[in-house]
Amino acid sequence: MSAYAPPSENPTTETPDTPAPSGAPAPSVRASRLDVPGALLALLRDTTTAPRPDPQLEALTLAVSADLPVLLWGEPGIGKTAALTQLATTLDLPLTTVIASVHEPSDFSGLPVIGDDPAGNGIPMAPPDWAVRLVRAGRGLLFLDELSTAPPAVQAALLRLVLERRVGALRLPPGVRIVAAANPRSSAADGWELSPPLANRFVHLRWVHDADVVVRGLGGVWPRSVLPTLDAGLLPEAVAFARRAVCGLLGARPALVHRLPSGEALRGGAWPSPRSWDMALCLTAFATAAGASRDVLSMLVRGTVGDGPGLEFLAYLDRMDLPDPEDLLADPGAAELPERGDLRQATLDAVVAAVRSRPARDRWDAAWALLARAAETGAPDLLVVPATTLATLRRDNWEVPAAIEGLAGVVSVSQRADRAKVRALSVTRGNR
Amino acid sequence: MDTRKLFAARLQAVLARPYLATALFALHPVESRHVPTMAVDPYWRCYVSPAFVDRTPVEELAGVWVHEVSHLLRDHHGRGDRYALRHGLSGPAERLRMNIAADCEINDDVFGEGLVAPEGAVRPASLGLRDGELMEDYLRQFRLGPHTAHLAWLECGSGADGLPRPWDLGPRGADGLSAQERDAVRFRVARGITGSPGNTPAGWRRWAEEAFHPPQPWRQLLGAAVRAAASAPGSGDDYVYGRPARRSAAVPGAVLPSLRRRPTRVVVVIDTSGSVSDAELGSALLEVTAISRAVGGRRDLVGVLPCDAAADRVRPLCGGAEGVELLGGGGTDLRAGFARALESRPRPDVLVMLTDGQTLWPSRRPPCRTVVGLFGRHHGSPSYDESNSEYVPDGPPAWARVVTIG
Repeated sequence: MSAYAPPSENPTTETPDTPAPSGAPAPSVRASRLDVPGALLALLRDTTTAPRPDPQLEALTLAVSADLPVLLWGEPGIGKTAALTQLATTLDLPLTTVIASVHEPSDFSGLPVIGDDPAGNGIPMAPPDWAVRLVRAGRGLLFLDELSTAPPAVQAALLRLVLERRVGALRLPPGVRIVAAANPRSSAADGWELSPPLANRFVHLRWVHDADVVVRGLGGVWPRSVLPTLDAGLLPEAVAFARRAVCGLLGARPALVHRLPSGEALRGGAWPSPRSWDMALCLTAFATAAGASRDVLSMLVRGTVGDGPGLEFLAYLDRMDLPDPEDLLADPGAAELPERGDLRQATLDAVVAAVRSRPARDRWDAAWALLARAAETGAPDLLVVPATTLATLRRDNWEVPAAIEGLAGVVSVSQRADRAKVRALSVTRGNR
Repeated sequence: MDTRKLFAARLQAVLARPYLATALFALHPVESRHVPTMAVDPYWRCYVSPAFVDRTPVEELAGVWVHEVSHLLRDHHGRGDRYALRHGLSGPAERLRMNIAADCEINDDVFGEGLVAPEGAVRPASLGLRDGELMEDYLRQFRLGPHTAHLAWLECGSGADGLPRPWDLGPRGADGLSAQERDAVRFRVARGITGSPGNTPAGWRRWAEEAFHPPQPWRQLLGAAVRAAASAPGSGDDYVYGRPARRSAAVPGAVLPSLRRRPTRVVVVIDTSGSVSDAELGSALLEVTAISRAVGGRRDLVGVLPCDAAADRVRPLCGGAEGVELLGGGGTDLRAGFARALESRPRPDVLVMLTDGQTLWPSRRPPCRTVVGLFGRHHGSPSYDESNSEYVPDGPPAWARVVTIG
């Protein structure tokens, strides 16, 4: 099994102070020879947990909550099963693990059972016991492990289970959530590869281990992550935000709506299509309602529509986060500019662009006031380009505002850079 | 610290390399008396020594800015960590070697054109190495020794080699960038370069193209393609009545067929025409061995068919790749190879063509899965028959899975 210290085996998560059953002495029976080994095992299992943020587990939780088919890509033995155990505990779902590689296709499509009148009633296909138990319970977390080591016919049968939720004649109830796991293509001994249409139906999450976590865990402290919970009050807002983000990006970049993977290297991974964008929208809403970090959202979106479109989407979200130039121009005195240099520069560029698109005396003055404010609170070099552009927007009857005195430092930095540029050009030309 | 001088230098760097503006502005300078010059950490902080700023001219400081931001854009710390893990390296000496190799990767093409190389910048030539290679390539080619002793002071920080430094503020310190923010900055820079590649140097263009899609090793891709073809449903398995099905117990009285699998048979057609070099044939032979292993290690299931204008016969790969005699050397017509391979008994389940693509292709899809390993041709080299300049070969057909080799 690919589990390192599953938290459920951990005394502290479920029954805090109960030692392992083998350690409990039975009063009337004489001491068994297994008592001492049992005590040693109990000591070994006596580990504690410490809270630690785990973005990949958060991403998995959100994707499972959103009821999307998840495919975990990860090397064997790095704790996928442990993660699923913790997830099942958090979502309060019973966990059913099916190791795909030890099954036959008929275990998923059903075994024929002869009834009274086969010619009249047909032959029903009997589902396996775990599926019956799942349907009876009405809810559960089904983990299909080691998909990549299963024979291709079994893989084909399993995909129907994941995508259509059918086992033989049974249909899994909506309360059942399904997660599959596979080894990456490069390390799989036998090829497991999704065709592009199948790959498009999954949220692909890469599962990696953190050496620090493993070392600390073997030392007795395993991580315990606080898993995201959806805030019921945020739901309408989250949906509106997700719609605005996805529609805004795709409206500006229609080419991103559908792009089949090109080249052998991208096969079997995530790629953008209307279906996967719909999944990305859903995941964005879930991540927003849960207050998840951008790292988590990045994993989810890139695992759904692919790296390139996913990064474009996140860049678009970053732009949505920047203050609106019109708000800044309306009240430059109260403006809150971003701290990070590149974001601050992008904001100021947007302000200058707004003045250029609708030039007016008061807007021009307000922009100077903003630049002066930026010069007080941050690095001067990133103001040079916006200030130069803003100066060219001046009309003849506009007087230079008083705020421009605050930019004296900017001017000196700019002049110094210009002199250095002349020297640098003479040196680099001299070398050629 | 003379921050005005530092920022004037950054401004000059931005003027000289406008496509790096986002990255340069995203760096957060931190004053530090522990660093000898300037050093970065993986969270995009730049530690600056005030004394270094005082004694260095503005134009050289600009070069250092670009140099340090290049370490971060090129993910040298992540690549260094992965290299160390793969090769089992540890210790500060190895990290110094990584810093030197990373500096070589940057310095061979980043300066000039209005950007002055800082004093003492390491170049590949000073170690006797060639320009234009990657950090990983340089790491294989030099060791520390007396000739690198003058580089021992080299210190670009944990952002260059992955080894945490005592002065680092760490992931939880102020003003660090999260993983997603770092990706976003690198992505914006890369998209700026691919969006207007006009006056960007080739080195940065290549970086921008590969920043988020690193080229995959062709051996893995070819192996995966062959494995997928060999294990796909329909190749090598069928329903037979020879043995009872596992389900038979459930249906007494009915005779059910059972699914039986026979080992997949692969025929490798090797293009031995004059346009394929000996080196390419050598790597093709290595791949044949690898493919035979991928199908389950039975060499008798892998056939090899050398083919130029005429196809020989399919030979078993019994004695290993070394035993295969590659005849030919004339023009190419792989259609002969296709036909001959399909005639062989038992019929192949998978055809693998190793070729440079200078051939005619069959007009119809063959009745088995086809993988084409295409030897990459560098642009500018003669790509078609010299004696017949009208002849331009078609690319591999759409029904084949194509992996470019080399």
